[in-house]
Amino acid sequence: MKKHHTPQLAGVALIAFFALFPFIYSAGDYDYIMHIAITGFFYAILASSWSMLAGYAGQFSFGHIGFMGVGAYTTALFCHYLYLSPEPTNICTEFLIGEQYLILVNPIGVTSSTLTQDCLRQALSIWDGSVQITPMPVWLGIILGTIMGGIFGLLIGLLVLRLRAAYLALFTLGFAEILRATISAEILITRGQAGIELPHLFDNGITLFGHAFTRTDKLPPYFAMFFLLLLCLGILAWLAKSKFGLFVRALREDQDAAAALGVNTTRYKVLVFVITTMMAAAAGAMQAHYVGIITPNNLFLLQMSLVVAMAVIGGVENFVAAAIGAIVIEFVLEMLRNSFDIGGITVDMTIWRLVIFGILLMLTLRFSRNGLILPLIEHFTRGHVAKETVAKRAAGASS
Amino acid sequence: MTNLAVKGLNKRFGGLHVLKGVSFEIDGPELIGLIGPNGAGKTTLTNILDGAIKPNSGTVYLNKQRIDQLPPYEVARAGLGRTFQVTRSFRRMTVLENLFVPALALNRGHSREEIAQKALEVLEFLTIDHLRNEYAQALSGGQQKLLELGRLLMLDPEIVILDEPFAGVHPRLMEVIYRYIERVNGAGKAIILISHQMDSIFTLCRRLLVLNYGDLIADGIPDDVKRDPAVIEAYLGADEEESNGEQGGRAQS
Repeated sequence: MKKHHTPQLAGVALIAFFALFPFIYSAGDYDYIMHIAITGFFYAILASSWSMLAGYAGQFSFGHIGFMGVGAYTTALFCHYLYLSPEPTNICTEFLIGEQYLILVNPIGVTSSTLTQDCLRQALSIWDGSVQITPMPVWLGIILGTIMGGIFGLLIGLLVLRLRAAYLALFTLGFAEILRATISAEILITRGQAGIELPHLFDNGITLFGHAFTRTDKLPPYFAMFFLLLLCLGILAWLAKSKFGLFVRALREDQDAAAALGVNTTRYKVLVFVITTMMAAAAGAMQAHYVGIITPNNLFLLQMSLVVAMAVIGGVENFVAAAIGAIVIEFVLEMLRNSFDIGGITVDMTIWRLVIFGILLMLTLRFSRNGLILPLIEHFTRGHVAKETVAKRAAGASS
Repeated sequence: MTNLAVKGLNKRFGGLHVLKGVSFEIDGPELIGLIGPNGAGKTTLTNILDGAIKPNSGTVYLNKQRIDQLPPYEVARAGLGRTFQVTRSFRRMTVLENLFVPALALNRGHSREEIAQKALEVLEFLTIDHLRNEYAQALSGGQQKLLELGRLLMLDPEIVILDEPFAGVHPRLMEVIYRYIERVNGAGKAIILISHQMDSIFTLCRRLLVLNYGDLIADGIPDDVKRDPAVIEAYLGADEEESNGEQGGRAQS
């Protein structure tokens, strides 16, 4: 085995570990640990896609969490407001599609259902159980959320074409904050701070390999998020190896020089925005269905800071390092929640863990700007380069 | 045959008139020196030729295709390549990756193996093949200049603009750059060489363009340009005519 194959083998081992983990682990806190893993995978998608955007392409966008929110809210609104019914309600806005009516529920904000009912609830009470309505499929909501994330990514990508460095960061930060504020303000449609409830990923349960899982079982969402992460990492790996990866890195290094060498910098700048924002939106949509609710608080700047910190600590210029960093940090942050006593003084780790996290981030930035995992990967993949260079030079000099 | 036709180029930055109706033509594999004092408009002219900035008026045609309104990547694909005054290698990419960028951007249907083979041949010619897997940031300033020249060989443009290729370069590497210019020019490419090193300019170039505060004040063979009173007044200096060839040091000041 060659030394530079070590990272690939480690990657395969990690995938195998996470694929087997839910079957091996059996402690009493099984659901809790599975929940942390699912959340870790969610952040890993955000951190790795942000790594492609910021680390590879040099587009330091702080709007990634906003795109996550676009995906989550798209599927939330889709599943909250649209239903299929075999009968017309005659009070909702509805369209006949084939033999079914597409019902558009009227928005009522956070008004208590005892005071004001939406049109569908009114219809249901009139029908008194004689008509069965069908909610929209969750998978379709996730796909729509992903597409909507891409559309927003395209628009923002086009808007920031001329912006670089701090201006790009501020613009995208502004986008995320405006989005959050809009969602908070549009109470009638988005229910504001109350958030929108979503059907669970597997709302009616699912049977896998002859075993029936309920909507609250952790194993199906674990694998759903895990496969989404693998899909995203697979796409990112393919992109990084292709000319796309080469061109976006050239874009990061020197946009003008890349253009002078024939690279259509506009196309690749927009493309990298669209692809990575679609990943963020897909992760957001799936996570929203897993948690069962989405609120504007999920779009806070603090969330974006967490994603950035995860990517930086892992290694922002390598999407695998960023993903591993996200999973490790999510686990560490959760494990650090356990408070303890020192001489009668209780150390509240729910707060101190964030201090420790902040210190780790600062130390990483100060002493290991490539993160903590990327140098390891580079040790195996590029450790031989210096020796080779010296040997080639010596061979050249002697010939 | 390569033809570049620059006609009536004007460029203003606010109240500053940087180029004032500059016109010239290049026919075939000429080796042209573009000289002038600092602020003469050489870099602005280069930036207009490569599409980085647009002129206020005037046109640029490359092989009968108008290129002055095209974005830089289309100008590069049309056949005009350049280096930069301050080296702009892709520092956190390997030397080989630097060479892959223009080759893949052109998309001429070559396989990666073919591109790698050509890249290695280019690096060997430039005497930096032993550095192929190093990040560009590990290279010395002179080696980075060679790398930039290597990228142009991979782009293989019809017209090459070399902006200060000799600045800060060790004499041994200068020999490599001389060989590079001979190779590119010998392959039928036109070269516009911008330099303050008059020795190199007079040794290599068979035609000189002299810019002075936006005006093209001379266009001719080096011997004629050297004797041109306007050029002596604006750039070469009064002693230049007498010292005849020992101008390098003065011209740089």
